[in-house]
Amino acid sequence: MGNYFSSMFDKLWGANKELRILILGLDGAGKTTILYRLQIGEVVTTKPTIGFNVETLSYKNLKLNVWDLGGQTSIRPYWRCYYADTAAVIFVVDSTDKDRMNTASQELHLMLQEEELQDAALLVFANKQDQPGALSASEVSKELNLVELKDRSWSIVASSAIKGEGITEGLDWLIDVIKDEQL
Amino acid sequence: MSTKTYKKFENAGSGDLPDKMTVYQDCMNTFNESPVNPKRCRILISRLLRLLSNGVAFPENEATALFFSISKLFQHQNDALRQVVYLAIKELSGMSEDVLMATSSIMKDVQNGSDLVKPNAIRALTYVLDESTAFSAERLLKSAVVSKHPAISSAALCTSYNLLPISEVTIKRFANEAQEGISDLKQFPNIPYDEHSLLVGEFYPNSSYMAQYHAIGLIYQLKKNDKMAILKLASQLADSNTLKNQLAKVQVVKLIADLINRDPQLFNEFQSVLFAWLTTKHEAVQIEVAKVISTFALRNQRLVAPDSFAYVVSTLQALLTVPRVSTRFAVLRILNKIAMVAPERIALCNPELETLINDTNRNISTYAITILLKTGNASNIASLISRISRFFHDVSDDFKIIIIDAVRTLSLNFPQEWKSIVKFLMDVLKNSEGGLKFKNTVVEAIIDIVSFIPESKELILENLCDFIEDCEFNEILVRILHLLGKEGPYTSKPSLYVRHIYNRVVLENSIIRSAAVVALAKFALTKNDPTLKESIVSLLNRIANDQDDEVRDRATIALRLIESADGDNTNVATELIEPKYFYDLPSLESKLSNYLNTNDDSFKTAFDSSSVRRFTEDEVKAIELKRKQEQSLGATSESSTEAGTKKSKLNDKTENNVFGGSSVGEDEQELLNAKYAEELLAIDQFKEYGKLINSSKSVSLTETEAEFVVNGIKHIFKDYIVLQFNITNTLPDVALTNVSVSCTQEDAETSQLEELFSIAIDKLLPTEVGACYVAFQKTDNLVIEGFLNNLIFTTVDINPDTNEPYEGEEGFQDEYEIDSLYINAGDYVTGSFIGNFDTAFDELPAEEIAVFNIQENLSLQEVIDKIITNSNCLPLNNTQFAPSDSNSHVLKLFGKSVLSGSKVALLIKMIHSSKGIALKVQGKGEDATLCSDLVNGLM
Repeated sequence: MGNYFSSMFDKLWGANKELRILILGLDGAGKTTILYRLQIGEVVTTKPTIGFNVETLSYKNLKLNVWDLGGQTSIRPYWRCYYADTAAVIFVVDSTDKDRMNTASQELHLMLQEEELQDAALLVFANKQDQPGALSASEVSKELNLVELKDRSWSIVASSAIKGEGITEGLDWLIDVIKDEQL
Repeated sequence: MSTKTYKKFENAGSGDLPDKMTVYQDCMNTFNESPVNPKRCRILISRLLRLLSNGVAFPENEATALFFSISKLFQHQNDALRQVVYLAIKELSGMSEDVLMATSSIMKDVQNGSDLVKPNAIRALTYVLDESTAFSAERLLKSAVVSKHPAISSAALCTSYNLLPISEVTIKRFANEAQEGISDLKQFPNIPYDEHSLLVGEFYPNSSYMAQYHAIGLIYQLKKNDKMAILKLASQLADSNTLKNQLAKVQVVKLIADLINRDPQLFNEFQSVLFAWLTTKHEAVQIEVAKVISTFALRNQRLVAPDSFAYVVSTLQALLTVPRVSTRFAVLRILNKIAMVAPERIALCNPELETLINDTNRNISTYAITILLKTGNASNIASLISRISRFFHDVSDDFKIIIIDAVRTLSLNFPQEWKSIVKFLMDVLKNSEGGLKFKNTVVEAIIDIVSFIPESKELILENLCDFIEDCEFNEILVRILHLLGKEGPYTSKPSLYVRHIYNRVVLENSIIRSAAVVALAKFALTKNDPTLKESIVSLLNRIANDQDDEVRDRATIALRLIESADGDNTNVATELIEPKYFYDLPSLESKLSNYLNTNDDSFKTAFDSSSVRRFTEDEVKAIELKRKQEQSLGATSESSTEAGTKKSKLNDKTENNVFGGSSVGEDEQELLNAKYAEELLAIDQFKEYGKLINSSKSVSLTETEAEFVVNGIKHIFKDYIVLQFNITNTLPDVALTNVSVSCTQEDAETSQLEELFSIAIDKLLPTEVGACYVAFQKTDNLVIEGFLNNLIFTTVDINPDTNEPYEGEEGFQDEYEIDSLYINAGDYVTGSFIGNFDTAFDELPAEEIAVFNIQENLSLQEVIDKIITNSNCLPLNNTQFAPSDSNSHVLKLFGKSVLSGSKVALLIKMIHSSKGIALKVQGKGEDATLCSDLVNGLM
């Protein structure tokens, strides 16, 4: 009986359901660092991700299934294989990499056109704010043409995965949106 | 899930494969579910694996989809699930290009996974890494190699081994760690429950020490070019007591085998270890040691004492009675090899072998009987044959074929016993059930007997005539008709065969009718019975109205040829009806395809058949006999091409590598020669030299361990001689430039050779092989000469990464003395076959006798081998094997001149005594000079 009730509660609060979240972005943006900052709260040394990392973590009573896909040019075509059933996309941008803002923007808009991601919320991290010469969140937003996005909940947050700034704020927003829209 | 539901789900035991599409759909649905259900996923993957292992293939898009959905299972941290995921990734890696997407996940498991999944993850690395990503796994692999856990260490060693061809630079950095893998005796960690560890300790060893085996494999691959390092490795491992794993020991035995094959003197050093390991408790090690010693002993009789060999044989004898089938089989294989060259040495195993004839395993019983057939001697052949006949009808075709092959060898070895053998073969051919392949083997054996034992001809042909009255296979009938046409005209009663052949024309289908027409036509020109011609013509006239085109055409052509033979122009007819020459088929084929490919005038110039090598019938027979002798010898002398029955891929690869460099088999030798000849004739300067008459085998002019390995080949033209030197640069990081060989005649004053020019090699990078040539004009037909040779070259240090010389490096000119090369009479002779040696020997006019005394410590067999190589003649009547139980031997050799075709025969009597070996060589030939040169230059 106890089990029964607990599963009832789980259904009510959505605790039993795993939320799939993708972390995407160009290579070297800091995706893997963000993933492990979320999971173990520490900065780990990373090397370029060939393929993907996946971790399950609990956040505010929710089970998050977070996929960090490699950002190298050779791996980007494979992103689409992991789009199905995705609740939200976290797009990470290296705010200091002004030269490739255009590429990042193209990849972002290309990805958001995919049928499977129509209902997914979008959170953009303007990462590496600790570095000198980093563009601000609003500048990044402009570079990425975020205002053009219609019918989608999105937000941009300035962050530094190394210092741990902005990560939880961003995720809080994302969880709220998902709870509102999808549960 | 209970066992019952599990069964229902899997429908096990039915033996049917699950439906491919159902499995695919189930996999796609279940793997993409959230949350993942590990149990169900595991079962689905195992079904998928079952399909894949049964050869079911998925199209690329489906395989890719499967791979991606399986890669999603990495989200679940279940060790059992993870293990099957790895298995699936390994299987799919061959079908889907996208496996690299799993790289990061796999590396993470290699780093942080549990001990259970680590080995699987490490092994999967092999399939996802490529040249560009291998370095990123270096640190992970290195720490896994030194892991205390035997399974992890093994997996890392295997992966390193398999990654070698992909990224040698990376793997080379673990050489020291791998070395530790041999000496570290790694054990499985104790299971924390007391009762269990008790159980484990008592019934299972805590480790198989398999990592030792894998480490040896890897180290060998890393060091195989460094002979001293391998020698050191082998002697270290042989002496110390560190090796616990039997496969590791087997591997070391193979290393030793490789070493002693290159340098027989090393046998003494390893002898004690080998004999100690001959008595270990591991059957695999015993077998491997026995194999190595026996193979070595057969080739280097002088170095292995007879009692040592007998000891090996008695070990093998004891192993014949063990319960394990695979052991008995392996032992039989070794005995079989010994039996091929020295059957009398294993005669003491005969009682065991005879018991094994009744073994329930047919592989074993067949092998046993074939060995018995080889150890058989003239006196017991008849009884053996009758034993075979008794059980012959119960075995399957495959075994029958093996037995027939053994009988065929027997018939060549004991030509005087042909009657009982022919009787057996005929009985088998007529009365035994069997498919085409089997009957074909029988017919082939019979054809062999006809061509090599002339006395048997008439009896066999008569029997074959009977057989074709009732034969269900077209192919065989055609072959027999051809044989009748070829041999029939030379028998005493050709008319008998004509009747049988004509019966076929009346009764059979068109394929056989056309073969019969050709056979009939050959009787028209027969010398023994001139009256036949008329009858043949009338028969052919009748056939010329046949309803089948091919039959009619052949009959008409035959008639025209026979008519033309009436006139003066008999040549065309005889050449077509009774060809004297046979083309060398491989060379004809390559010339023809070359002609088709280079054709640019739409075939206006006709194909020039005169450039194709042609053989006379005797030559063809000589080549065939030689090939057959080598087939039986080859099995012992050449382990390289033999497909091992070893279980693991790793093992197989190493074995091939171990033996790869040692001896080039005869077939390969022939191919090599053809290749050299082609390369030579492609060089402009040699084009005008005309036809290449003969090329010698390649002669080693340096130690195989030398800095530069040089082989010499002598090419003989009508008026020229070209010496080819193949040079291998074994120095690392040094390139040789402007490499040439200076040849000085030993006796320059009286030399009949005049040096024309030499062609140097521009540049030789490390491990490369190049050929340089020196050409001479000869004034006499038969020039016999020795050359002192010096290798002249410039060494340049090069950067190993780019293979380019360092800047400013000018090089250093150097000379290196290599062995002398002799052109002797044997280079002008090629082996030839003759059915009746003794008569032929008596009939040849010129005679030369010489006596030699050999004081070096050589065995009879070594002397025989040397004589055969030197004289280039074909050993006849099976005299190329020295008896091991007697001190004397008579060797019969027959050959002919490559220049004039004159025959030469050698009869060599040899006696082995305490003072050495005494030889009396009696040579007879048509050409007195050749005969005396050959006899006097024999040793």
